[in-house]
Amino acid sequence: MSIWQPSRHGAELSPGFVLHRRDYSNTSLLVELFVEGRGRLPAIAKGARRPRNPASALLQPFQPLWLGVSGRGEVRTLTRVEGEGPPLGLSGEVLFGGFYLNELLMRLLGRDDPHDRLFGIYRDTLVRLAEGFDLESGLRRFELDLLGELGYGLTLDREIGGHPVSADSWYLVEQDEGVRRVDFVPEVPLVSGGTLLALASGDSLVDGQRRESRTLLRRILAHHLGERPLRSRELYRQLHGSRSG
Amino acid sequence: MAERSLLNQLTGALRCLPGVGPKSAQRIAFHLLERDREGGLRLAHVMADAMTRIGRCRRCRTLTEHEVCAICANAQRDASLLCVVEQPSQVVAIEQAADYRGLYFVLGGRLSPLDGIGPDELGLGQLEDRLEEGIGELILAVSPTVEGTVTGQFIADRALSHGVRVTRIAQGVPLGGELESVDGGTLALAFAGRRDF
Ligand SMILES: [Zn+2]
Repeated sequence: MSIWQPSRHGAELSPGFVLHRRDYSNTSLLVELFVEGRGRLPAIAKGARRPRNPASALLQPFQPLWLGVSGRGEVRTLTRVEGEGPPLGLSGEVLFGGFYLNELLMRLLGRDDPHDRLFGIYRDTLVRLAEGFDLESGLRRFELDLLGELGYGLTLDREIGGHPVSADSWYLVEQDEGVRRVDFVPEVPLVSGGTLLALASGDSLVDGQRRESRTLLRRILAHHLGERPLRSRELYRQLHGSRSG
Repeated sequence: MAERSLLNQLTGALRCLPGVGPKSAQRIAFHLLERDREGGLRLAHVMADAMTRIGRCRRCRTLTEHEVCAICANAQRDASLLCVVEQPSQVVAIEQAADYRGLYFVLGGRLSPLDGIGPDELGLGQLEDRLEEGIGELILAVSPTVEGTVTGQFIADRALSHGVRVTRIAQGVPLGGELESVDGGTLALAFAGRRDF
């Protein structure tokens, strides 16, 4: 009997996603997984690329999976994989949004750190995007949640002193200093109170709020991402002009 | 340290062949030396020739020792049809299996947002030139993976913006395949691509 037989019998299976995959040896795949209860981890799917092995079609990004993983070493062995329903139907711009989420997780999430709350957030974000929720609002909300989960959460609806943010004022936002109201225009781009309140509440962003929040989150994330550019963003820009997630 | 014997060098070199481990390499080396030296010499000669002389077709990027491959150079082929594939091996597969008389374009991979494989690596500028020259139909024969979909969508967008009709080869249940042994994704595609009976 093949180890890929779709049966949940006798194995501990956890919900998970493939973040990235690449060919490994002649017949196998090396996959980077995000598994509920275990976090991000690399695993080898032995023989997954053999003809007629359904694992290859299943082990793709944005396909909700049940995964069985064994081993303790640097790279684990994937012992079982089953589809947990159809793949999430991302296409066009939204598909790039999905790759962007995966790349953020690959870059910012340490391996073997469970991050259970983040797993749920990731899955919900993909589901919402597949259902047609506004892409930019979805990406921004995920970025904020990711920062919070990594211990760099931002309070956006209050100033440092506790004063509530007002929709009609302009603010300076810094990773370490939080939100500060300003009346002059410094070099760092300002964010309107309305945008901050929309981000804090998780509401859909409108018009100018999209650009403001994109610039804000990109600047904050840059602290954590370092020099190396995000490849999904680069490719999106190359293919579709200058707008990007 | 003593120089490795020629026999060891041969078995070592044979291991660059896909699927050939130390045992098979040894078996092949002994077979050629003891039973088929002529075949071995022919292999060595053709191998050296092929490795140095085969390059990429200027028109379609498939493998050829000429500047333009035999398919692109063939005036009998229908130049209004352009089939986009990922690998040269797929050109061969389609040529052998299908009654296709059009031309090809070989990407050499697929767009991979996380691996930094972009339009330049896949010769998409060259494909754009082909679209500008004008074709009637572009046939997408890229694999139905997530990355294949990204690649296909991008190429389809470009082709449509040039007013070129875009089709995709049908995907679905393999001939002689049992429905229940087909994975869910394939089954979903087969369902989405159903046709009048
Ligand atoms: Zn050619």
